[in-house]
Amino acid sequence: MNATTHTAPRSERAGRPADTPRGPARARRRRFDWRTWGAFALLTAPMLIGLGVFKYIAIGWSFLLSLSDAQGTIALGDWVGLDNYRQLLGDAVFRNSLSKILLFTLFIVPITFAASLGLALLVNRIRRGRAVLRTAFLIPAAVSYVAASLVWKMSLFSGMPAGIANMLGGWFGMEAVPWLQAGDPPLYWIALVTLRLWLQVGFYMVLFLAGLQAIPKEVYEAAALDGATGLRLLRRITLPMLRNTSVAVLMLMFIAAFQAFDEFYNLFGGGMSGSGTAPVKTPLMYLHDTAMGAQNYGLGSAGSFVLTALIVGVTLIQGRITGFGKSEE
Amino acid sequence: MTTVREGARTLRRPVRGLLAGVLMVVFLAPFYLMLRNALMDTQTLTSPEWTWWPSTMHWENFTDLFDDPTLDMGRSLANSLLIAAITAPVSTLLASAAGFALARIPVPGRGVILGLVLATLMIPGAATFVPTFVVVGSLGGVNTLWGIIVPGLFNPFAVLLFRNFYLQFPREIEEAGRLDGLGWLGLYRRIALPSSGAMLASLGALAFIDSWNAFLWPLVIGQDPSSWTAQIALSSFLTAQTINLPGLFAGAVVTITPLVVMFLVAQRHIVEGIAHSGLKG
Amino acid sequence: MSGQRAQLSRRGFLGGSLLFVAGTAIGCTSSPTGGSSSGAKTTLNVWSHAYGEAGTQQALTRYAAEFTKANPDIAVKVTWVPGDYTAKLNASLLTDAAPDVFEHGDFTQGLARRGQVAALDAEYGSVKDDFNQTGRDGVTVDGKLYGVKMIDDVMMLYYRKSVLAKAGIAPPTTFDALVAAAKALTTKKTKGLFVGNDGVGEMPALSLLSNGGELVADGKIGFAAPQAVEAVSALKRFHDDKSLLLGFTTDWWDPSAFVQGVAPIQWSGLWAMPAIEKALGDDFGILPWPAFKAGGTPVVRVGGWTSCVNAKGKNVDAAKKFVKWLWIDQTKLQQDWSESYGFHVPPRKSVAATAAKLSKGTAKEAVELAAKYGRINPNTWDSASGTPFVAAASKIVTGQGDAAALLADAAKQAQLAVDKQLS
Repeated sequence: MNATTHTAPRSERAGRPADTPRGPARARRRRFDWRTWGAFALLTAPMLIGLGVFKYIAIGWSFLLSLSDAQGTIALGDWVGLDNYRQLLGDAVFRNSLSKILLFTLFIVPITFAASLGLALLVNRIRRGRAVLRTAFLIPAAVSYVAASLVWKMSLFSGMPAGIANMLGGWFGMEAVPWLQAGDPPLYWIALVTLRLWLQVGFYMVLFLAGLQAIPKEVYEAAALDGATGLRLLRRITLPMLRNTSVAVLMLMFIAAFQAFDEFYNLFGGGMSGSGTAPVKTPLMYLHDTAMGAQNYGLGSAGSFVLTALIVGVTLIQGRITGFGKSEE
Repeated sequence: MTTVREGARTLRRPVRGLLAGVLMVVFLAPFYLMLRNALMDTQTLTSPEWTWWPSTMHWENFTDLFDDPTLDMGRSLANSLLIAAITAPVSTLLASAAGFALARIPVPGRGVILGLVLATLMIPGAATFVPTFVVVGSLGGVNTLWGIIVPGLFNPFAVLLFRNFYLQFPREIEEAGRLDGLGWLGLYRRIALPSSGAMLASLGALAFIDSWNAFLWPLVIGQDPSSWTAQIALSSFLTAQTINLPGLFAGAVVTITPLVVMFLVAQRHIVEGIAHSGLKG
Repeated sequence: MSGQRAQLSRRGFLGGSLLFVAGTAIGCTSSPTGGSSSGAKTTLNVWSHAYGEAGTQQALTRYAAEFTKANPDIAVKVTWVPGDYTAKLNASLLTDAAPDVFEHGDFTQGLARRGQVAALDAEYGSVKDDFNQTGRDGVTVDGKLYGVKMIDDVMMLYYRKSVLAKAGIAPPTTFDALVAAAKALTTKKTKGLFVGNDGVGEMPALSLLSNGGELVADGKIGFAAPQAVEAVSALKRFHDDKSLLLGFTTDWWDPSAFVQGVAPIQWSGLWAMPAIEKALGDDFGILPWPAFKAGGTPVVRVGGWTSCVNAKGKNVDAAKKFVKWLWIDQTKLQQDWSESYGFHVPPRKSVAATAAKLSKGTAKEAVELAAKYGRINPNTWDSASGTPFVAAASKIVTGQGDAAALLADAAKQAQLAVDKQLS
């Protein structure tokens, strides 16, 4: 039966992309085809149910919860209007977490971007040992934030004289410094930025490498004939050709930075007391303290919404500016 | 490439090589530190005197890790393995199935459904952990392995990648399958799925890594030590009341080893997977 | 869910077998994993935070086994929870997997008002009056007792006698003297004072209390009052002098920094005293946190752990039985728990009176200090009111922002939390 239903449109649509079933397909659609529908439903159902429950229902429920007084419970009913949002925005700790994460993002995104692009250019130029080099830069991506935090906190940036940073400093006559706890100057940023850089740079380097390898050789050869070399070649050819990759990388970096949690929690958290005195609290840490620590799920939901709105907003603006995302229907 | 730039390149080559070498050492140094510290005793580890490599190797740091009554490292590793081993293939298969249907099976309303799937791409994963906790909690998923696994099985981004992939799929092959009497399900299982091996492998590898290294969600949902993953166990170890430093590093080595091995063995797939994930949009 | 199952099995071997693996695994974890469940009708899940003192986990497991011996129909599974205990406990309490009995480090009224813990007046019976006043006050909400204090933890300053003598410094009895001592004892290799790796620890509350302030009293947040602002701001002096040990490997509750000579003065607990005695002999003394200025009072903190019964659990009666048996009736075990794994003060007066190890030497001194200067956190003080305070204080001590404004802002948040708890 299938064979007969589908032979008719075939001759016309052969070789065309499959997602434009116009004309003949429209005629076919009118006859309700149970088998086609069944197959479609069967293949998409798990994904649709999953996304429905864990995204749509979750968001909807949580939105209602953000309008309720939900302390120690996730049940709806005790409506308080916008109280949670008022409390959230009135909380200096939350506002401070937003400004700190913005600062962090402003640091980490350009640095990671430049470093991963630089590494990609370097690896791309190197002939002998390129595979080894790429592996060396990529392998930190296998490490979890927890394990990296451990090394950073207990070995590299330990406050003790035996910490690597202090030991190196000691060779140059510097005093031992509590890297993670010193507030003035805020040395902990060095630990935070280097940690994330080490973990992520290989990942983005691979993206740039893929972009670099997609640039046709002829473009370079033509430019070289015009006498372009070195930096000019980079600025005139390489960077413009990497525009799409760059935009994607920036977006991924931004979203990742805004949702930072793991390394902050593990570097600054201590004992049973959680992370109350952490010098930098990210919005997700605030949400974790609010929802998991103080059990205030209403306030936690409200915070989730404000943060989500910020991320979506920035993504949309970035997409509008760069013309990105248009192909996403 | 051309003679014009050849001169500059030969000059710069040693510099470049040196730079690459130095960077490589910097990037690999933390691994060395981890291993060195894991094999030391506490005294040498906290001494301000620098030691390149412990004179006596304390392998017992590793065995102690699995004998520690306060922290069940063995079980946590088993949990992590189970979670990643389920998440990677299942999430990839689910995405592939949905991607295939959304790319190839023409049904009315498909555009709307695709829109609903793609709209979830906008929702940042970690930032919405409170809503997810609310739903999973009400379904009784706190402190269970399924509570950790199931919310991570639905990846709209992978659906998009698979859809793009299946859109490129030559129609001729599909028609040939149809002539053999295959329906849509048969086409997917017999023809589309077998030919997406590389996609499945690369996205599956990425899913495995993400799942193994996940921290926030397992932290939120797996409160009881019986449902801890390796990352949670390590973190608890790090914030415990008494700290056994060499043991901590031994724990770190143990939790990263499976992935480091995987990176070395399946690097091609991982690199491809990362390259795919940059295609977003 | 069932749709997914059907589809997966149709997709064949791989998916099906994976789901099977998943099913088995999930099935496994939901069945009780505790040891002695054979023959028992109910299994109690008892949560404990991971104590740092060696032997505590084994002791608790042993008590549980003895309880089962006396009550063969009730098995007890002890869950030992390292890490951020409060967050893990709170999230678990919402679920079916919640513990039946749990200990709490900061018992708060909210727990009782939200109906999360059961009243235990009947279990106390006439023994009630044998518990010390702070132990009872801490768990009393609207006249009912909602938990049983397991141990009193006394926290104070330890100092190295020899180091201070060598530097010609008398044990500090005023805040100014403490600041000066910390500064004078700071050398290239050591710091003068250790209060916690974050450089904040318990200091804000201590300083405030030592200046006659209150964290919260009668439902009103007190940490934005003038004497509180004064006391918290003064802590910046330690940071200006760089005399605090920061970023050590273990935190203030562990005596390592003190014992290793990295800091000659450390804030820690009575629990650490056996380890300190073992390492230093009698080369140490204890002090209360000094009075902030004339008119203030020295402060010793009394904390501890309280055993609670989950009122929403499935085995409330068995849980009550366990708590009564262990923490009210079994005075021998209570004594073992208090004295054998680090020093703690038994909250039962009759047990405390017979505690041999606490009746001599520095331990006795600590018990006396606690009786004289001991302060407990009011049970309206919870993490929702504590978090803004500590966050503001840690900014103030590192000199980021105006103390009065920061504390006033934090007090507003904390007041909301307290109001919510009392409503």
